[in-house]
Amino acid sequence: MIMRERISSAGIHAVLLAYSALALFPLALIVINSLKSKRAIFGSPLAIPDAESFSAEGYASVLTNSDFPLYFSNSLIVTGVSLVLILLLGAMAAHALSEYRFPGDAFIGIYLILGIMVPIRLGTVALLELIVDMGLANTLTALILVYTAQGLPIAIFIFTEFLRSVSREIKDSARIDGLSEYRIFFEVVVPLVRPVIATVAVFSMIPIWNDLWFPLILSPGEETRTVTLGVQQFIGQYTVNWGAVLAALSVAILPVLVMYMIFSKQLIRGITAGAVKG
Amino acid sequence: MATLDLKGIRKSFGKLEVIRDIDLAVNDGELVVFVGPSGCGKSTMLRMIAGLETATQGEIHIGGQRVDHLPPADRGIAMVFQSYALYPHKDVRGNLGFALKHAKVDPAEINRRVNIASDILGLSEMMERKPRELSGGQRQRVAIGRAIVREPDVFLFDEPLSNLDAALRVHMRVEILKLHQRIGNTMIYVTHDQVEAMTLADRIVVFRDGNIEQVGTPLELYRQPANAFVAGFIGSPAMNFLVAEVSGGQVRVADRTLCTSSAPDGPAKLGLRPEHLELDDNGPLEGKVSVFEHLGGESFVHLTLADEQTLVAKLDGAHEFVPGATCRLAIAPEQCHVFDADDQRITTRAISGEAA
Repeated sequence: MIMRERISSAGIHAVLLAYSALALFPLALIVINSLKSKRAIFGSPLAIPDAESFSAEGYASVLTNSDFPLYFSNSLIVTGVSLVLILLLGAMAAHALSEYRFPGDAFIGIYLILGIMVPIRLGTVALLELIVDMGLANTLTALILVYTAQGLPIAIFIFTEFLRSVSREIKDSARIDGLSEYRIFFEVVVPLVRPVIATVAVFSMIPIWNDLWFPLILSPGEETRTVTLGVQQFIGQYTVNWGAVLAALSVAILPVLVMYMIFSKQLIRGITAGAVKG
Repeated sequence: MATLDLKGIRKSFGKLEVIRDIDLAVNDGELVVFVGPSGCGKSTMLRMIAGLETATQGEIHIGGQRVDHLPPADRGIAMVFQSYALYPHKDVRGNLGFALKHAKVDPAEINRRVNIASDILGLSEMMERKPRELSGGQRQRVAIGRAIVREPDVFLFDEPLSNLDAALRVHMRVEILKLHQRIGNTMIYVTHDQVEAMTLADRIVVFRDGNIEQVGTPLELYRQPANAFVAGFIGSPAMNFLVAEVSGGQVRVADRTLCTSSAPDGPAKLGLRPEHLELDDNGPLEGKVSVFEHLGGESFVHLTLADEQTLVAKLDGAHEFVPGATCRLAIAPEQCHVFDADDQRITTRAISGEAA
């Protein structure tokens, strides 16, 4: 029996390891090649940088010859503010939907979640017109608003499912203790669903951080470029500064990595919370 | 310390009426138990007293003050929930003091009240622990402590012992009784367990389908149930009901008279408590033993009568039966409960005619 369990556990680990290798390979390739000279990138793309092929010129051109720090802070602001809005508004909407019965609650719930099925990019033209009419073209606000709208449906969907599982008696108990509905939400409900908040945060953040489409269309101006858009300047019509592109991408991975490390413990709990009710 | 008055309370969820015109007056310091099967409206009634549900109609008064328009925190009540409903991210001290802290009570006063509550409930050793580090019984004690700390006029308990195992339930039942004797507040206690109701209550209120079936002390309900529902609900094992025939004031089962009654001639329902049945070779009830359960000190005989009606009798541990054996039982006429076609109680008289 034990032998059989070991074999099956080894099998599972082999599959997981293979998958991890597959997923990490492109990332490793980016980081490795960002540290090589241009010639080495093309000469031996899979080789680890050695004394001869090592070159930090990509990083140098990214950090000195461009507005990369500006792009980076633009990306951070857009992603950060969108994320706060998604989490705050999403959790509050989900709380209202799961806690209160009011006329039209089912309709509003479906309306809010419907966005999952309709890709927001289908509405790009209308969005662009709207943003221009509001005078928000080439602003970070435009991106923040669009990303918040893009992230809310799935956030509300996940939050609603989890908030339904928060015991009604705890909320009632807080009501008897005299807490207002807002304080019940922030002081009782939010601490109970922290793992879910972390999960939604990570899932919402990555598409926003990686997006090229909306920055290109809504905010292509020099002052409002995000990292993904800024990197494009190294990709010319005739020549591509691969060292700089790869260096910029390597740096761009960092915030996601940091965020994931902060939330990973909560994240795993959030993902497994539904499966193994602890 | 307060009275509680419910006046003409009704509650509907959409078209479904769950509470139909409830009137009840609870005296100061009384422990009243709401009991009934699930879905009878007892918990809804409690939640309306707490202010967690609004009554569709009617008035709630606590200590003579009308409170049904007040939010829960201003009604002078505290509630203990079945699932304990502790705040998982706060330790025991934080849980106990939370309501007071929120009400901006002076920290020294919070400390004093929290310490009193923890002394009463024996929580002093575990003040720094989180709810997940406590056993079920300890959690429920914290939940009760949280209610005590608020020094409410009325305590509300919503099936507080249902999540505990049997041994702990008996123990906590005694603790709640002691608590009531010690602090003497008015308490409303909701349960579906008739043993809890019998042991705890000063008065029991039996609910069914949103109506009050009967209000009375545990012994009143046991001795003079107003109808067959209350009779079947109070007492364990449950009362036996036999189809009987009334003719000329004689209540007969299988042509043997068990008692007399003022009931009109015709069919009636005869209620016999298992513990009042006794072995008698000339007894009027004869049947075959289908199941025999021996519990050591006492035993239960399940009989099938000649006309296929079934009956359970509680006997002392001295007797033993094998399935298939014949058994004859008798009952004192004054222990018979007769109910009419609408299950309402009919006053019985002893067979000897000694009663008027």
